[in-house]
Amino acid sequence: MPSRRFGLPTFVAGLFAFSASAFAADPIKVGVTIAQSPPGSVSQGTQVKDGLEVAAKIINDAGGVNGSKIELIYEDTQGIPEKARAAVEKLITRDQVVAVTGEHQSSAALAGIEVAHRYHVPYINTNGWSDVIREKGYPEVFNPGNYNSRVAIAVAETMKSLGAKNVVAFCENTDYGVGLAKLIGAQIAERAQGISYKYETLDRASKDYLPAILPLKANPPDVVVEIMLPPGAYILLNQLNEQGVAPTAKTMIYDASGIADYPDFWQNVGDAAKNMLVFGLYHPKMPLPDLGKKVAADYTAKTKGDPNRLLFQAADSLFLIAEAIKTAKSTKADDMIKALEGIKWTGTRGEVSFSSEKSGFKYHQWLDVPYVTFQVTAVKQPVADMKLVQDPGKPLDMSRVEKTK
Amino acid sequence: MLTLDLLINGLIIGVFYALMAIGLSLIFGILKVVNFAHGEFYMVGAYAYTLSALALGISPWVSLPFALLVGLLLGLVVERLLMRPLYSGYTSWGVMRDEYAVIVTFALSIFLINIVDKVVGPYAYKGPALIGISRITIGPLAISGHRLIAAMVAVTVIIVVALIIRYSFWGRQIQAVSQNRLGASLAGIDTAKASAIVFSLAGGLAAVSGALLANIFNPTPDVGVFPAIKSYVIVVLGGMGSVPGSIIASLILGVFESFGGVYISYQYRDTFGLFILILFLLFRPQGLFGEKAREV
Repeated sequence: MPSRRFGLPTFVAGLFAFSASAFAADPIKVGVTIAQSPPGSVSQGTQVKDGLEVAAKIINDAGGVNGSKIELIYEDTQGIPEKARAAVEKLITRDQVVAVTGEHQSSAALAGIEVAHRYHVPYINTNGWSDVIREKGYPEVFNPGNYNSRVAIAVAETMKSLGAKNVVAFCENTDYGVGLAKLIGAQIAERAQGISYKYETLDRASKDYLPAILPLKANPPDVVVEIMLPPGAYILLNQLNEQGVAPTAKTMIYDASGIADYPDFWQNVGDAAKNMLVFGLYHPKMPLPDLGKKVAADYTAKTKGDPNRLLFQAADSLFLIAEAIKTAKSTKADDMIKALEGIKWTGTRGEVSFSSEKSGFKYHQWLDVPYVTFQVTAVKQPVADMKLVQDPGKPLDMSRVEKTK
Repeated sequence: MLTLDLLINGLIIGVFYALMAIGLSLIFGILKVVNFAHGEFYMVGAYAYTLSALALGISPWVSLPFALLVGLLLGLVVERLLMRPLYSGYTSWGVMRDEYAVIVTFALSIFLINIVDKVVGPYAYKGPALIGISRITIGPLAISGHRLIAAMVAVTVIIVVALIIRYSFWGRQIQAVSQNRLGASLAGIDTAKASAIVFSLAGGLAAVSGALLANIFNPTPDVGVFPAIKSYVIVVLGGMGSVPGSIIASLILGVFESFGGVYISYQYRDTFGLFILILFLLFRPQGLFGEKAREV
């Protein structure tokens, strides 16, 4: 009997101890929404997934966050807003994730943040460039990635440096595309008066862009700005080249979407991208902090591929969630949001901090996202060999820009 | 000169639309159902052409008939496995004929998109050009060499198919089944065989269309969705089941979209077909070459 009386409390105490240790070892679930199937940009989705997995491995190999491993739970959005909304709903309500990240398409992000805001769950936007995402003013939403206003300023400054008089942009019919095309117009009006600018909206699903291109043949612009994701961007470049509109000695192409580091870029464009200027968020010649070098090395070891911008953006998204939990010593939304608002942390691309300016696109945005401009100078050129014509934080160096002969 | 550019572009696009729409029209003529997986036959043809040329390094002129063969076989297999219950009595077990066709072809469409996405991958692949001349300049006109040659091949295929249907033994049987399935059956025509030929031919035509456009529209797994929607519009405009009607409607739509994209608005270009469709449904519901019919 004594042994039985002694046995029950011991068993209960043991059970508690086991439960406590089990809880301590419970993984921290992070929800990920990416496009893993068409019509979304699966190229981007794959790069984001790779970046998150590299970051998760680095975190977990170092012992996790406050003793718990990070577990990524994926949902495929297909780049469709309704599916993104449902995906975030499922991740929060069924999977009980502590934060959501990974989104790389603005339209899907705009749908996803509504759900994250409703449930008050931190949402780290990896690559939705649309300014509207921050303009909503949701405290749960943080953006350590690029944003349309920054690209618009870069485009306007570049057009001014190039001495362009007539600029035409082709944008996709999405929040990102149309939003950026409008912002570029506003920035050109503000910073580069005298440049005539117009934009044409193209349907991502449609494939014949000639009716939009043919009117340019009579009076080609100085620069065509491309604001589209693949495969629409590839088709546009090919059809511009097919009609002899660009690239030519008269007309340059400026890629505002950063498509030159996509794995399928060269197979799809060939010489249609000759001398194209590229807005770049990553170039191998950009200086990287130690964490960036580690992520790049781990990615290359894992995939045998060269690093790309989305790798770093995705890795930073997850590192930031981990940092917030570590700093807050909690996975509660309010504590994580407070930690993120005060964060000053060196990630893969530089020191990240979020603006607290509440009005407009700056809210919870990392304003100093580093960028460069590089130029494609040969067909099938790897990004590492593409010519850097603008260093981070410096103006465009016109002496380095090559013109099409 | 812009006018001529737009006209030529419109006619070329119209020819590709026609290649797609003829198959759909034939299927409707014979089986009286709409094949919702028709766009995926196009997609499979585009991939068969592109991947065979890229992976095996063979000439695109060999890849083109290979794509046709893949399309023909796919059409044949789909007809035998999925469409035959439509006219073999199985649907009388409780499933309505139209419901069966919609469900089975729609499911096939989703299946094919996803299987290609998983097996080949989501990335775009630009198909090889049929000729090495990137741009042919005739006076102030410039046109890509591939686009011009592809359009000529498409016209040739359309003419050959039209001749086969009009004059060949099996073509006449197809016409007979299209006019009256029961009557053709009573006259000794193997209606099942005619249906199989039509489905196979439709698959082949869509696949050739996809192959010819693979250099221009860089195929992805969902590349067939948009051309399929255009084809549905064309088949109704031309008159359900009418091959000449489909050809003329394709050319009209191609040219209208080309001019409308410039003189009305490019943003609304893809709605022009739907606008014309509404007008036709209001004022000439039988389409250009369709026959007025009423069933009780």
